[in-house]
Amino acid sequence: MRDIIKMLVVLTVICAVSGFSLALVHDVTREPIEYSRLKFVKEPAVKAVLSGYQNDPIKDRLVIPVGTDKKGKPVKLIVFPAKKDGKTFAVAFESAAGGYHGDIGVMVGVDINSKKLSGISIVSHTETPGLGARIIEPNFTDSFKGKSLDKDLGVSDISALSGATFSTKGVVTAVNKARATLDKYRDKMVQ
Amino acid sequence: MSLAKEFTKGLWEIVPPFRLVLGLCPTLAVTTSAENGMGMGLATTFVLVCSNLLVSLLRKVIPSKVRIAAYVVIIASFVVIVELMMQAYVFPLYQALGIFIPLIVVNCIILGRAEAFAGKNSPLPSIADGLGVGIGYTISLTVLGAFREILGNGTIWSHGLFWDGFEPFTFMVRAPGAFVALGCFLAMINLVSAKLDDRKRRAQS
Amino acid sequence: MSFGDYMLFIVSAILVNNILLAKFLGNCPFLGVSKRMDTATGMSMAVIFVMVMAGMITWLVQYYILVPLNIEYLQTIAFILVIAALVQLVEIVMAKSLPALYRALGIFLPLITTNCAVLGVAIININEEFDFVDTLVFSLASALGYSLALILFAGIRERFMLIKMPKAFQGTSIGLVVAGFLALAFSGFAGLVGGH
Repeated sequence: MRDIIKMLVVLTVICAVSGFSLALVHDVTREPIEYSRLKFVKEPAVKAVLSGYQNDPIKDRLVIPVGTDKKGKPVKLIVFPAKKDGKTFAVAFESAAGGYHGDIGVMVGVDINSKKLSGISIVSHTETPGLGARIIEPNFTDSFKGKSLDKDLGVSDISALSGATFSTKGVVTAVNKARATLDKYRDKMVQ
Repeated sequence: MSLAKEFTKGLWEIVPPFRLVLGLCPTLAVTTSAENGMGMGLATTFVLVCSNLLVSLLRKVIPSKVRIAAYVVIIASFVVIVELMMQAYVFPLYQALGIFIPLIVVNCIILGRAEAFAGKNSPLPSIADGLGVGIGYTISLTVLGAFREILGNGTIWSHGLFWDGFEPFTFMVRAPGAFVALGCFLAMINLVSAKLDDRKRRAQS
Repeated sequence: MSFGDYMLFIVSAILVNNILLAKFLGNCPFLGVSKRMDTATGMSMAVIFVMVMAGMITWLVQYYILVPLNIEYLQTIAFILVIAALVQLVEIVMAKSLPALYRALGIFLPLITTNCAVLGVAIININEEFDFVDTLVFSLASALGYSLALILFAGIRERFMLIKMPKAFQGTSIGLVVAGFLALAFSGFAGLVGGH
């Protein structure tokens, strides 16, 4: 009997101590983990769509709550601001829309004052290789550069991909969604 | 036994994964480059030293019937710490090693050293043992990684080695190459140690 | 997923992305128990059994305990404890109710706790965001792939006794080289699941 009690006590204490110290380590590393995740996963896309900034857009990121999803969990929009002399002149954030097969995630960079696209970059997609997957090619993404977001873009505004109508439309829709997001949250993005 | 002896035995006498044929999965999987091999080795060394220390400190408290369960909890805790730390500070390496970081938990070297050494010895020798075996493992992984990287990719530490137009032997960085490379290394170590033993015997007689 | 998709998924898990030869999981017992055919078969059966059970239970643990409590970072420690407890439980139950099976598989069960294929498959199930049915199918297919490779390998290895070979290569080293050729043969299946 005493043996069993000793076993239980020892195991419980070990588990408790381990749980406690892990919670502590988790707490300490939460901030750096989030930073390095964004740094290595998102930064290439951010760099592709923004230029001429002097700050670290990842470090200066803004998190804007944009409502809740179906399960009632809050949805957050992460905005990467590009600053010069301490002032935000452009922002980059992600937008998504359905392509031919699943969602296409697009990083959209916009100049705040002129409302012109400074660039887009495809961050995630599952389009058909050789057809829809050509949306990642610079030929296609570069054709968005400098387009104004005063009104919704149409497929004719950019150099659409032949044989990949749905994928092209998906990217255009994602950019138009980004336009709506920008109009709605512009003030919060520039603060 | 001296501390130095506990330390050095991990470097040759029982160097994993060659002498102590344990911990093969990470050895095969992550040695596609010298850098990955070294990262994996260091992560394993950290867990090994920490778990050896703690197991040795607690060796009189833990009842022998539940010792394996207790060891597993201790090892797993350190693995989670390594996981979090690597995500926070060396994210590219974390991505490269992927699933094999959580799998350090089931690396038999660590449980093996806890059971065979740390559970029976005092803290200082246990640290020396963990450090020796860990560094031995790190060196093995780095050498194997370098060997496969040079042949399979034509680079070392991501620096190009060969002239333009050099056609790398990609077989080496693929899955089958991992087995063949490790097998040949093992044979080489066997050959060398057989020669050494032979010489020792001749010197004695 | 449709039936065809599942077939492709299974074939891919067994042959193309074979857990042992392409993903390098569970190699220690692979080399340890493959010297004789009967131990290889015993280990295979034990792996199939435990891997499927562990796959299901860890999936439930992840989505009904870890995610609601926001402690996904404890995944590693939770999974290994679940697997260790499961193996113990299976051992006790089997010894009581199925003594014949226990005699055949009993000695392999403790080895399975440290078989990284079991924990590895449990983690892959979560990383790939499989639903419960996918998890079940993937765990079973992976276990079958493991068994296939293990039994084939044991068949080859049994013949080593009849061969003269250089001293340095004896034992594990030639085992590894042969495993490499087996992996090479398996990589020939890659064309089966094109475009994925």
